[in-house]
Amino acid sequence: MSNTAWEHCVSFLRDELPAQQFNTWIRPLRVDDTQEELLRLIAPNRFVLDWVNDKYMDRIRDILTHHTTINSNQVEITVAARKVASFQKFRPHEDQAADMRGSRNGRAAPMAEAPSYNQNTYSADTPVNNAQPVNAAVGQSGGGPQDRDEFFDNSFNSINDTANRSQHNTGNSFSNFDETIPSLSSSVYQDYQNAGNVSDQERQVVSVPQPARINKSDVEGGLEHKSNLNPNFVFDNFVVGKSNQLGLAAATQVAENPGGSYNPLFIYGGVGLGKTHLMHAVGNALCEKRVGAKVVYLHSERFVADMVKALQLNAINDFKRYYRSVDALLIDDIQFFAGKERSQEEFFHTFNALLEGGQQIIVTCDRYPKEIEGLEERLKSRFGWGLTVAIEPPELETRVAILKRKADQARMNLPNDAAFFIAQRIRSNVRELEGALKRVIANAHFTGRDISVELVRESLKDLLALQDRLVSIDNIQRIVAEYYKIKVSDLHSKRRSRSVARPRQVAMYLAKDLTHHSLPEIGEVFGGRDHTTVLHACRKIKELLESDADIKEDVKNLLRTLTT
Amino acid sequence: MGSPVQLSLGVALKDEATFANFFEKDANAQVLAALKNLTATSSSEAQNIIIWGAPGCGVTHLLQAVCHDAYEARKSLQYLPMNELIGFDANDICEGLEGIDLVCIDGVDAICGNRSWEHAFFHLYNKIKEAGHTLVFSSHTSPPSLPILLPDLKSRLLASVVYHVESLTDTEKQNAMIMRAQARGMEMSEDVAKYIMQRAPRDTSELFELLDRLDDASLQQQRKLTIPFVKETLQF
Repeated sequence: MSNTAWEHCVSFLRDELPAQQFNTWIRPLRVDDTQEELLRLIAPNRFVLDWVNDKYMDRIRDILTHHTTINSNQVEITVAARKVASFQKFRPHEDQAADMRGSRNGRAAPMAEAPSYNQNTYSADTPVNNAQPVNAAVGQSGGGPQDRDEFFDNSFNSINDTANRSQHNTGNSFSNFDETIPSLSSSVYQDYQNAGNVSDQERQVVSVPQPARINKSDVEGGLEHKSNLNPNFVFDNFVVGKSNQLGLAAATQVAENPGGSYNPLFIYGGVGLGKTHLMHAVGNALCEKRVGAKVVYLHSERFVADMVKALQLNAINDFKRYYRSVDALLIDDIQFFAGKERSQEEFFHTFNALLEGGQQIIVTCDRYPKEIEGLEERLKSRFGWGLTVAIEPPELETRVAILKRKADQARMNLPNDAAFFIAQRIRSNVRELEGALKRVIANAHFTGRDISVELVRESLKDLLALQDRLVSIDNIQRIVAEYYKIKVSDLHSKRRSRSVARPRQVAMYLAKDLTHHSLPEIGEVFGGRDHTTVLHACRKIKELLESDADIKEDVKNLLRTLTT
Repeated sequence: MGSPVQLSLGVALKDEATFANFFEKDANAQVLAALKNLTATSSSEAQNIIIWGAPGCGVTHLLQAVCHDAYEARKSLQYLPMNELIGFDANDICEGLEGIDLVCIDGVDAICGNRSWEHAFFHLYNKIKEAGHTLVFSSHTSPPSLPILLPDLKSRLLASVVYHVESLTDTEKQNAMIMRAQARGMEMSEDVAKYIMQRAPRDTSELFELLDRLDDASLQQQRKLTIPFVKETLQF
């Protein structure tokens, strides 16, 4: 019922609002399908929610009341919950369930997170109503009863595993990997009990393993470590060349001997050169080597966001405990810590704790530690305690090898000459090289042609084209006057001598070709002439382009000057 | 007191931006196919596309058409017109968008040089890529020439698949105008279209805005699109 009513409302709003507003504010709203008695709209974030509430809610309510069977008090708007922080134990159940489903096979949980809908509900009548649509959340996350069965089965395997394991390991954490399988907190069980829609059968299942409840103070048992590792970034598909061989050698060493003398490993270099790839490769190798390794990769921004969240929730101890209990902590783009003093301080203490515990730290940055502005000296100096390696932009041969490898992965044949053609033109970094190759492959798929130099040239014409041909009439008049060695004022004048009239016609032709101005507007800026004069000039030059080599050459030269 | 004006709101035929009412030219076939494919596939692989072209070439129309298709396909989406949103808090607007299936950022040129927006988009890009969702940018500047200060963002944008949208020629604009008029239930002859083309701004968005005025006036006055009617309405 609510979906049909909302569709009806949307069709009204589509006609009433400018397309831009409709697409920005109305189209992103989704209906919570699980609600039968009310129309609950879900906004992507609080900003959209506030805007819709402020500008459109009255109208929405009005349309629904007058054109559907929905009453105004049956309408509410809510916002999708923010992604929860890594350290949070008591996470919204649907995220937890999604994570657990993803990490069932012991690999990293998938990076995609289903949005959850459990915060900040605004009702049409009550401005703020922090409702907790638990049922909606379960439904939205796609977890049906069967999923929940699987989830619980796995949860309890995990809980039982944990119950049989020993307590917190000490010393070099990699010597005790077997004892540190992450597990599920009992809070998840509580969440599901409270959900209200758990079937009797499910209740029966969840009520069995009471003894396995984890003590909240249990450092290991209470934490679930989400690695965030990208399984595609491994050593096998890292293309090595002069520019990155040192980095690769160091990363391989760390993968073989984590927590050893290369701790921390500091990898630095420009954007898109493979720092993140190397970092993930170490993480994946560690997980491969020891099942259950608690390897956590995160971008520095996420560390900061988690810390802010921890402070907001008064849960800074959970935060500390989480990050200090990992076996390897991989933090990307540390330069984004610059100026964030509290995060730096927390990271400093985490860093020290990990180093003392023999846990591996890998950090990437866009520059040498000493050159990071806004970073505390003590952190800079600690980054230098282990091994610092630079990754340079790849040389031509490496760029070609990267392209060939990427083409192989996409099951495309990339001839050598075509690979060299791309590599010679895209020199800055690997990421952009891949972007160019993707464009070439898209073109090959679309046209059904094999990759060749010709196809590459055609494809990269788009990517490497300069500004589109759009210049101002002023500029056209100036360039044309310079070219014909006359004054700009001559172009505006009433003079009709050939030496002035022809350049004026050329300038009018170029103004029509290179700008979006209307013919009357063009006539106006050429001394207040009529639009028919402009039309005549354009037709004349078009005709001369076919018959007069000099004019053709002039127009060609002027076009080149104006558009490059 | 003048006669009451008949409101065409809710009465005029819908002319929202869709692929169906985007004037197709051969040179744009590939970009159209790529954009239509975004909502047609159920691939979980992250897809990032940038479309760019001169003002008036239709990038905004295309982004809104993608949103239309995504909506029809019941995918979650967010459209961000940057020329409108640049003045707001970047982090507030980007918050949580990684959970959305499709995010369309229209006019990324507007945020170049704005530190807070560049950083917000950099983080949003990373999170959307991690989530395996789709991000589409539009720009009026060739992506390599975008004056982005944050190299991390620029290299990510250039890792996307870049498509150029070719502008329409005057004849194509004329035909496009006839097509759009038809979509609104108005009959526009070639002579009328030519008459408008020779006098009106040649930017397509401005040209199509004239159709709104003609549509409203034609409905109010119950008149067909003739040259005298167009002349009177648009005051040429």
